[in-house]
Amino acid sequence: MALPPNVSEADFAAALREFQSAVGSDWVFHSDEEVALYRDSYSIERDEPEERVASAAVAPATVEEVQEIVRTANRYGIPLYPISTGRNLTYGGSAPTLSGSVVVDLKRMNRIIEISEENNFALVEPGVSYFDLYKHIQERGLRLMVDLPDPGWGSPVGNSLDHGLGYTMGPFRDHFSAHCGMEVVTAEGEVVRTGMGALEDSKTWQAYPYGVGPTIDGLFAQSNFGIVTKMGFYLMPMPENFMTGTVSVPRYRDLEPLIAEVSYLEDSLMTGMPNYSSPYGGSRITGPLPEVDALMGDGWPTIDELEAFLADRDQPAWQVRLSFYGAQETVHANWAAAKRRISKLIPDAVFEDGDLLDLPLSAEDAEQTHYKRELGIPALEIFRIVTRNPNTANEPWHGHADLFAVVPRTAQGAWQATRIMAETYREMGWIPATDPFSMPVCYYPRNFMLSTLVPTWDDPEKNRRSRELYLKLIDNFAEQGIGIYRTTPAFQDYLVGTYAYNDHSLLRFQEKLKDSIDPNGIISPGRYGLWPEKMRSRNG
Amino acid sequence: MNRQSLSLLPIAAFVSFAAMAQSPSVQNGKAVYETWCVHCHGEAAPGPLPGTSALEIRYNGALPAVLTDRTDLAPEYIRTVVRNGLFSMPRSRKTEISDSELEDIVAYLTAGGDNE
Repeated sequence: MALPPNVSEADFAAALREFQSAVGSDWVFHSDEEVALYRDSYSIERDEPEERVASAAVAPATVEEVQEIVRTANRYGIPLYPISTGRNLTYGGSAPTLSGSVVVDLKRMNRIIEISEENNFALVEPGVSYFDLYKHIQERGLRLMVDLPDPGWGSPVGNSLDHGLGYTMGPFRDHFSAHCGMEVVTAEGEVVRTGMGALEDSKTWQAYPYGVGPTIDGLFAQSNFGIVTKMGFYLMPMPENFMTGTVSVPRYRDLEPLIAEVSYLEDSLMTGMPNYSSPYGGSRITGPLPEVDALMGDGWPTIDELEAFLADRDQPAWQVRLSFYGAQETVHANWAAAKRRISKLIPDAVFEDGDLLDLPLSAEDAEQTHYKRELGIPALEIFRIVTRNPNTANEPWHGHADLFAVVPRTAQGAWQATRIMAETYREMGWIPATDPFSMPVCYYPRNFMLSTLVPTWDDPEKNRRSRELYLKLIDNFAEQGIGIYRTTPAFQDYLVGTYAYNDHSLLRFQEKLKDSIDPNGIISPGRYGLWPEKMRSRNG
Repeated sequence: MNRQSLSLLPIAAFVSFAAMAQSPSVQNGKAVYETWCVHCHGEAAPGPLPGTSALEIRYNGALPAVLTDRTDLAPEYIRTVVRNGLFSMPRSRKTEISDSELEDIVAYLTAGGDNE
């Protein structure tokens, strides 16, 4: 049986007995078979000594049990690693950052404590999944829509605390920003409520986020300052209608005014998440289309060369699918305004009406719609990209590690980032994942995210190649002032190291807070590069 | 029915109810399957679901790709895949699918899927 670092067998056994006393023996997992269930199913270090594995897991059902677990951990110096639903695949899943940690599995804390159709919010525990929340809303016929990630089996608490993002209107896509109020068990076992929750019997805990004085909520996201046990989220009222419309532009350079105008629409809340693409864009997995690959040759085509390429072809250079939420009157008006404004900048832009849906959808239509993510309907269909498919049939992946680069929301930003990614892939001996016609996605409303999926395997040599590619992507982007927004524990130290302004002053500030708030260093040591003082010289 | 057999009836009913509570439940297995498994392993909605489409390629017509259409699934294989994962399918923990719920899924899938 693995032990937590620097913890004796006797102390670990005593701690396990205390955990059992707190939550019941059925909910403390310490056999090899049980602990193996907490391995990262997508680990990029699978079966290697570096693979991060737990020593045990404990599953509380109440805040009081969480407090008991934290107090025990402090007594014996046991590192804990809280997970919500543990479905953060590609970013570490249910495995801890520090091997030997005890995973605190919050899946049993799965109450939807309050949900309001009047003020459009929900207050949930960490074990509530997006599927659970959606089902709750449907069963009660509530006029509410959830912004969710794809896949949808994660937790609003867990996803927002890793800065996860979604697909609907701007204010809701940033899941952490859309939260309002949280309850946390601190590293010393105390319960703190943030925002208006700090006022006894508050009636606005999920209505006004700030309370008074400095807010601390951000300390608990991508971090290790406590265990979040409740979180409030703003929900979007279910609109009467959802509509799409597609804009096509002929020239490569048209992307500049197109992005500028669509950004105006997005920031004015006239459209939901824009969806950019090009008919000539390749795939992250199979690479560029042959005719674009030929254009790339050993270098990168100039814009004039790309314009000449397009002039010989009859497809548009770029397309953007806009989405509109509201009533009949407003969705049509916003689409009409979008067309008018874009036409003024790009007179030969072509517009095509998409679908107009009356909401809410029936259960049958909800199951069959192509717009699940845009309408807050949880699904797992996105796994089609990575499960055995025609592109991977002979060599199906065992998982993947996602990398999303935070890119300026401009054509120049997109072009620079796609070039960096393509050239990095080539540099490392891989088929380029991007090409001059690739586009980032608009998960976060004010910037682009350029994404790739680096495969993981059950073969250490192949995983080594994947790790080298991932690290080189981090490096090459950082050199150009482009950062990555989220990563799996295998790369967290390295990634945080790139945020090095003023001799890593941000990390040094965070470390001071960590030392004060978690003096025994028991909450998720090393998460996003934040190590307790006693471990810092070894891992910092 | 005479008085003696009436007095035995509640005890007999209790014993058989206890037995039912302990043996795997195909009905509960279906409910758990539809919570955790059907989103990847069900029928198309609207396009092929990831588990089903992967198995279509893997089996190439030799076996049904929709798991509930299979009649030959081995209980130990089901348990192993659920607890260990397979390729891009991740493993499931006991706080998600308990041991008894796993046995219910086994009962459901080995009863021929929708046959109860």
